[in-house]
Amino acid sequence: MKIRKPDLFQIITYPAVIIVFAIFISMLITFLIKSLPAFDMYGFNLYAKNVWIAAENPDNEKYGILAAIWGSIYTSIIAVGVALPLSIGYSIFVVDYAPKKVKNVLIILSDVMAGLPTIIYGVWAVFFLVPALKDNIMTPLYDTFSFIPLFSEPSISGFSIMSAGILLSIMVAPFASAIIRESYQMIPFKYKEAAFSLGLTRYETTKLLFGYIKPAVYSGMILAFGRAIGETVAVSLVVGNAFNLTANMLAPGYTISSLIANQFGNAFIYGHMTSVLYASGLFLFVIGLGVNLLGIYKLRRWRKNVEI
Amino acid sequence: MSKFDIRKIKEKLFLVTVAALAILAVFPLFHIVFTVFYEGISTIMATGPTFITGTLGEGGIGPAIVGTLMLTLLSSIIGIPIALAVGIYAYEYPNSRIGKITTTLLQIMLEFPTILVGLFVMQLIVIPMGSYSVIAGALALAIIMMPYVAVYTAESMSQIPFTFREAAFGLGVNRAKSVFMIIAPIAKRGILTGLLISTAKVAGETAPLLFTAGGLYQSYPHSFTQPVGSISLLIYTLVQSPSIADHQMAWGAALVLMVIFLAVFIPIRMSLKEVKL
Amino acid sequence: MKSLEYAIETRRLNISYGDNRVIKDVDMKIPKKTVFALMGPSGCGKSTMLRAFNRILELNKDAKVSGEIRLFGENIYAPGVDPTEVRKETGMVFQYPNPFPHLTVFENVAIGLKLNKLVKSRDELEDRIHWALEKAALLDEVRDRLKNYPSELSGGQKQRLVIARALAMKPKILLMDEPTANIDPIGTRKIEELLFELKKDYTIVLVTHSPPQAARVSDHVGFLYLGDLIEVGKTGKIFESPGSELTEKYLTGELI
Repeated sequence: MKIRKPDLFQIITYPAVIIVFAIFISMLITFLIKSLPAFDMYGFNLYAKNVWIAAENPDNEKYGILAAIWGSIYTSIIAVGVALPLSIGYSIFVVDYAPKKVKNVLIILSDVMAGLPTIIYGVWAVFFLVPALKDNIMTPLYDTFSFIPLFSEPSISGFSIMSAGILLSIMVAPFASAIIRESYQMIPFKYKEAAFSLGLTRYETTKLLFGYIKPAVYSGMILAFGRAIGETVAVSLVVGNAFNLTANMLAPGYTISSLIANQFGNAFIYGHMTSVLYASGLFLFVIGLGVNLLGIYKLRRWRKNVEI
Repeated sequence: MSKFDIRKIKEKLFLVTVAALAILAVFPLFHIVFTVFYEGISTIMATGPTFITGTLGEGGIGPAIVGTLMLTLLSSIIGIPIALAVGIYAYEYPNSRIGKITTTLLQIMLEFPTILVGLFVMQLIVIPMGSYSVIAGALALAIIMMPYVAVYTAESMSQIPFTFREAAFGLGVNRAKSVFMIIAPIAKRGILTGLLISTAKVAGETAPLLFTAGGLYQSYPHSFTQPVGSISLLIYTLVQSPSIADHQMAWGAALVLMVIFLAVFIPIRMSLKEVKL
Repeated sequence: MKSLEYAIETRRLNISYGDNRVIKDVDMKIPKKTVFALMGPSGCGKSTMLRAFNRILELNKDAKVSGEIRLFGENIYAPGVDPTEVRKETGMVFQYPNPFPHLTVFENVAIGLKLNKLVKSRDELEDRIHWALEKAALLDEVRDRLKNYPSELSGGQKQRLVIARALAMKPKILLMDEPTANIDPIGTRKIEELLFELKKDYTIVLVTHSPPQAARVSDHVGFLYLGDLIEVGKTGKIFESPGSELTEKYLTGELI
């Protein structure tokens, strides 16, 4: 036997793997380091207060991004809430009812939606979706339900938390659909047979089998939430970009990513704003990491169990 | 009997609801495609070929189209070789500790807010260089592209029947040769698909370019170290302008971007069963 | 009405998948409260035929059924017959034990009763579940584990749980598709013993690819080969003096 030479395979692949890890870690470090001045200056209040005073004199600057955090979460919750029934209905229809050709078309359409450049959603939303929502949904909601805090103030422009939420729901539904559909399709046929053999109707069978893929539905929701909270340009075009800490979804709001998109270009003018925006990014970083890890982990665990 | 009628009605209601939700889920796509086409085509018709070739001053988006091509090309050159190697690594070590962590990291990066990548590259490249540039934009896009390519590569290779692997290693050649020269080419169709879909994806990205590419629309880009525009970035700027003419311009640009995306995406998508997005 | 002595009766039964005929002109009668074994080499159509008896075959959109299948004299393929009603009358046990993994032992037995609203009170539900588990000879083994999930049961126990799930609906017929194919020998013996008990109250159709099993447990046996019913009759008689060369070859292991 010859002495083992260094493996060419490792020589080729290891550096690439190291580069990818290095990119990720240096991203995290960059965000941490760039956030430090903001933490020094404002402490935890940066995430806990709603204030945005950009002043020429750095001593007068005051920042707290709570409204943006709130807006990110609020819009993403609306997005997932609306996308979930769409995705579940879509998955059931595609797997159980659609004839083969329709099925393929529906799957391709959904994939196209998932890949479509987000700026195209943005243009469409600014000029069509927002005005349409304002006239047909938001105004009637205010007229009828203004006693509910969710709809307590009328929307003036239509650019609002609700518009962002609905747009996001359209954008993330294909992701949730793909995960739910694949999981629903993975249910072994023997369980379907068992349900039918008990005299259950199709509705009852589907309901029963969805109990089985519940973990996958949850991970679909979580991953869709992760997508929604990170989405930037389309949201920044429709959310209204106002520091509102309100339950009223008809009011304009902010999200972390749209705050960065809007303010970062001019932030260098001010003393602390750049660091504040990196700290906002760090928050998004951590949320994104946590949410996605949770979703990926749940999905993986489910897929592992289902094969047994 | 009446008890069962309720179940029957529920059953019908269920089918109707499910079908309606399915249609509702994909309906926006039809509306978007139709609206973008309808609004965009009138802009393009009004301007004529200049819309594709001219600068913004001339009423065209030529520099943005070239910018998108440059950014996409350069990001592919940077990202693809690394991503292929990482994907092949993930395929080769699916159960080792580092292999598992790599797979998880790739999936996380796949879902990562893209604006953060832009901020990172801004700090890494734009600030030291003192200017927005093609290089910075392309690097941001490359970072976004890598996990897609890598995941596609690993998945299409893992679908190769184990017997080919045995056959490859049975030839007695080293691992690098077996994997790169024999196994990877078997999956070349899947890998190529992944490359194209990832390229189409980054060609439409906006957020990571906001603070890296800068934007250039009045003249054509001529250097990799100078600012550059892209179709998506231009649309983002135009939509925010108060001018109606700019809005019409945005529709036209959106149509160009959509046509590029659909022309790449749909043929690939039709040719395979599943995609990862 | 004249055929009420039979639990199942098929008349010119044909089943096809697209152009592929898998059951050809089968006429067959299955007497009440007996074990009827349907045997034949794999691919002969026995599982398909079994799935026609409770119309679960309709889950496969390509499958077409023509002819008649009468359960206690009533043609279940007549227009207007609701397949879910047919399925309530016929319990089914499958080749792979398939208790619902996300439901507890108790819920698995309860699910059909609950959704079909066959019981009126919680007490009645509990009584019925205990009764079904007892009937399936499983109660003693799971009495303390009713709230646990079926994943911790053995294969044989899972299969008896599926039998209990079917029995809880108080069906008249029990359809069993190679119920011991994936069960260890001890579990197999328990299930075979159970069949002797169950046939006092139920008609059992057992699909099996094992002639010795058919000989051990059945009263009547039908031999299917490539979709044709070659022979049907009392088990003893067919095993002692098969009426066809094919049957004999199958019983001696020459046809697989």
